[in-house]
Amino acid sequence: MKLELGYINVKGVKFATENKFENGIVYVDELALKELLLKDSSLEDCNFDVAYPGESVRITPVKDVIEPRLKVEGPGGIFPGVISKLETVGSGKTHVLRGMAIVTAGKIVGFQEGIIDMSGPGADYTPFSQLINLVVVCKPAPMVEAHDYEEAVRLAGLKAANFVAEIAKDAVPDEVMAYETKGLIDSINEYPNLPRVAYVQMLQSQGLLHDTYVYGVDAKKIVPTILYPTEIFDGAIISGNCVSACDKNTTYHHQNNPVVTDLYAQHGKTINFVGVIITNENVYLADKVRSSDWTAKLAEFLQVDGVIISQEGFGNPDTDLILNCKKIEQKGIKTVIITDEYAGQDGKSQSLADADVLANAVVTGGNANQVITLPSMDKVIGTLKYVDKIAGSHAGSLADDGTIIAEIQVITGATNELGFNKLSAR
Amino acid sequence: MKYILITNNDSLLNSSYKNINVVYKNCSYIEVLLRVRAYIHKGHTILTHPLSSSLKPNETPFKSILISGSSKGATDAFSVDIIEQAIEAYKKFPQSNKSLNQKIIDDFKLVDKTVIESAILNNL
Amino acid sequence: MSKLRVVHYINQFFAQIGGEEMAHIPPEKRDGPIGPGLAFKAQFGDEAEIVATIICGDSYFNENLDTVTKTILEMVKEEQPDLFIAGPAFNAGRYGVACGSIAKVVQKSGIPSITGMYIENPGADMFKQDIYIISTKNNAAGMRSAVKDMAPLGLKLARNEKIGASIEEGYIPNGVRVNFFEKERGSQRAVKMLLQKLAGKEFVTEYPMPTFDRVEPQAPVEDITKAKIAIVTSGGIVPKGNPDRIESSSASKFGKYDIDGVNDLTAETYETAHGGYDPTYANKDADRVIPVDVLRQYEKEGRIGQLNRYFYSTVGNGTAVASAKKFGAEIAKDLISQNVSAVILTST
Repeated sequence: MKLELGYINVKGVKFATENKFENGIVYVDELALKELLLKDSSLEDCNFDVAYPGESVRITPVKDVIEPRLKVEGPGGIFPGVISKLETVGSGKTHVLRGMAIVTAGKIVGFQEGIIDMSGPGADYTPFSQLINLVVVCKPAPMVEAHDYEEAVRLAGLKAANFVAEIAKDAVPDEVMAYETKGLIDSINEYPNLPRVAYVQMLQSQGLLHDTYVYGVDAKKIVPTILYPTEIFDGAIISGNCVSACDKNTTYHHQNNPVVTDLYAQHGKTINFVGVIITNENVYLADKVRSSDWTAKLAEFLQVDGVIISQEGFGNPDTDLILNCKKIEQKGIKTVIITDEYAGQDGKSQSLADADVLANAVVTGGNANQVITLPSMDKVIGTLKYVDKIAGSHAGSLADDGTIIAEIQVITGATNELGFNKLSAR
Repeated sequence: MKYILITNNDSLLNSSYKNINVVYKNCSYIEVLLRVRAYIHKGHTILTHPLSSSLKPNETPFKSILISGSSKGATDAFSVDIIEQAIEAYKKFPQSNKSLNQKIIDDFKLVDKTVIESAILNNL
Repeated sequence: MSKLRVVHYINQFFAQIGGEEMAHIPPEKRDGPIGPGLAFKAQFGDEAEIVATIICGDSYFNENLDTVTKTILEMVKEEQPDLFIAGPAFNAGRYGVACGSIAKVVQKSGIPSITGMYIENPGADMFKQDIYIISTKNNAAGMRSAVKDMAPLGLKLARNEKIGASIEEGYIPNGVRVNFFEKERGSQRAVKMLLQKLAGKEFVTEYPMPTFDRVEPQAPVEDITKAKIAIVTSGGIVPKGNPDRIESSSASKFGKYDIDGVNDLTAETYETAHGGYDPTYANKDADRVIPVDVLRQYEKEGRIGQLNRYFYSTVGNGTAVASAKKFGAEIAKDLISQNVSAVILTST
């Protein structure tokens, strides 16, 4: 399967009365977008705003971040089985609006979290401070139940992304990157002397606000399976996860999965990257045993020499991470795991809720309990009303002037467990 | 009963789950963990992860954990590991001084309920 | 701005007084830098100066631990320094323990302190959680690079500046996790680490898993009524008077004691050497720590085969893991030679 990603550099996002893309500027017909999103009866209203890198702007509470992408050639569409028809994606050509994102914000539940600061010390901790963010702030219709509202906001973000991507459909990419993964035998024949490597991606799957969808299927209902890496670039995996802002994988993270990208960068040079095994992080312990058995079995079946395993979330997934690592190592396959840490505010506590000696190669996204002071910003998109209620903050976290003292776990993507960031700890 | 659900979330009292004896007590998060540990010491097996949901132990006051309905006699080592690790993890979070309004309390109850139901409804 | 005041601690060897034959000399204080202090002076430039150097023999220090730390602390305080530096000790064991001990005491008095040693120096394991210990090479050829790391970290401590992660500052990881920004993103680091691991080359994990050194349990004793059972304890039980002088903390040895004919441990005959718990009840009746009385009774009733003639004892209080491992290996060897079939291990 071969996919070409054509990157179109975005230099600005402006609201206008008609959609157009000109000189790197995306002009968005605000009313048309609003009309599209409000077709969902679960939403009473939505508003838009744009935040640029370096501005004194705070976006909170953030639900999801999505990159606008458009399928310009080949089967299927972006976010298959969710808002595009159900068809296998990952081949042909896809355009990417690089440098911008759709950010959905607004309260889902009373303890909603997620902060993106566009400047100041907090900006160093979130990759989204580097993007031009078109923020969609949603408001639920009266009496809408939490599940339905979560779904409505999730879909609103995806729809807005596809709407915006469509605006630049005729643009010529500034850069094109091609990615190809062949069938296993062809792949082995092509690079017989390179070590075979797979990527085991664990998906958050614990229930309301903790879900991930694969081609529209709730990940807690899957058994581990294999994807071509390019499927992920076309939105095969989307986030329905609103909890634990620092180490939840947003849809943007999935679309730009850094492990996939960096394994591709070595593909055919130092390794033979044969595919992605996806698995889940269910609450039911028997599910964990089954899923980890299966990831190990699939890794063995692919006859790989090594895997990278990434995690999502806190606590419960630590057990899945260690089970996956242990069982794959016991098959004689080398592992490197990517996680983050909850070592306490003083950094002295045990970082993970599980451990094993076989997990001897760990990459960490840093200690999520590190306390940070986020100075007030001139403008808030969304609301600060919930800051006192979010994880890692405490009553009194929010000063009258808008300064927030909290753990970095309140910052969207701060300790990402796909290895998206440079933050680490020792 | 085949299963016991230890919980401090009263919203679970309104539902009846097949084969599950819901043991509710109005108590703290840590007390739920400790009560589960006591059952484990008596030979019950833990069936759902005690740190279910990404909500931190000092964030949500509610916790529901499913265990086997009967003792298998000997203490299950895997269950002991899991519950002890959860108790350790609980301790490293500073205790919250947040006052929660009713809406937030209801949301925490809802998340706890749906998370535990994701195990119950899919498996039992 | 005036220069920061530094006091430096070194042993007899680095003061060029002598080697082992001069290790007995008591502490003395001299003005200005001496020996390695000159390297620090060069590294500090205008920012700090070594106002005094304290020299003490390694044997003297370790044999007079309680009094010598007090004496040296007073010497340090007289100088009203902003920073105290001990060593570096490289792989010299007693010098390392001396540097760690004195730096810990001085730091506790409110004066920022730092030392340096090789990771396998026993002092590193003992004191890495108390003070910053710069990781050095295993001999004095590494002086230049040791000073290069120790001086800037020392200045930061003296100025109460934020201390970075161990990998940035060069100190031995002390169990405190500190965030910092790497040069490459995590996924790239993961790919690189995997490549190293696949090639069978060295790689360094960013988070060492807590190791509990798990030991696979032995198969159960088949017939306890025929078993020869020995007692091994870290609870410090010794014959009255502590004939082997097992230390009350950071034990450097274990004792092997004959209990042939002993049916009960009494307050007159046994006591504990352990300094980490209230000894009242152990001293009153040491059977509370090692149940010799009960085992004798079981022996008589035929419920166990026999109680081994010797029991083994050390003090677990602050004892380095490396030392404990060594004791364990020696004790195990001895137990096997006596055909012991089971051991009761007690702690406190």
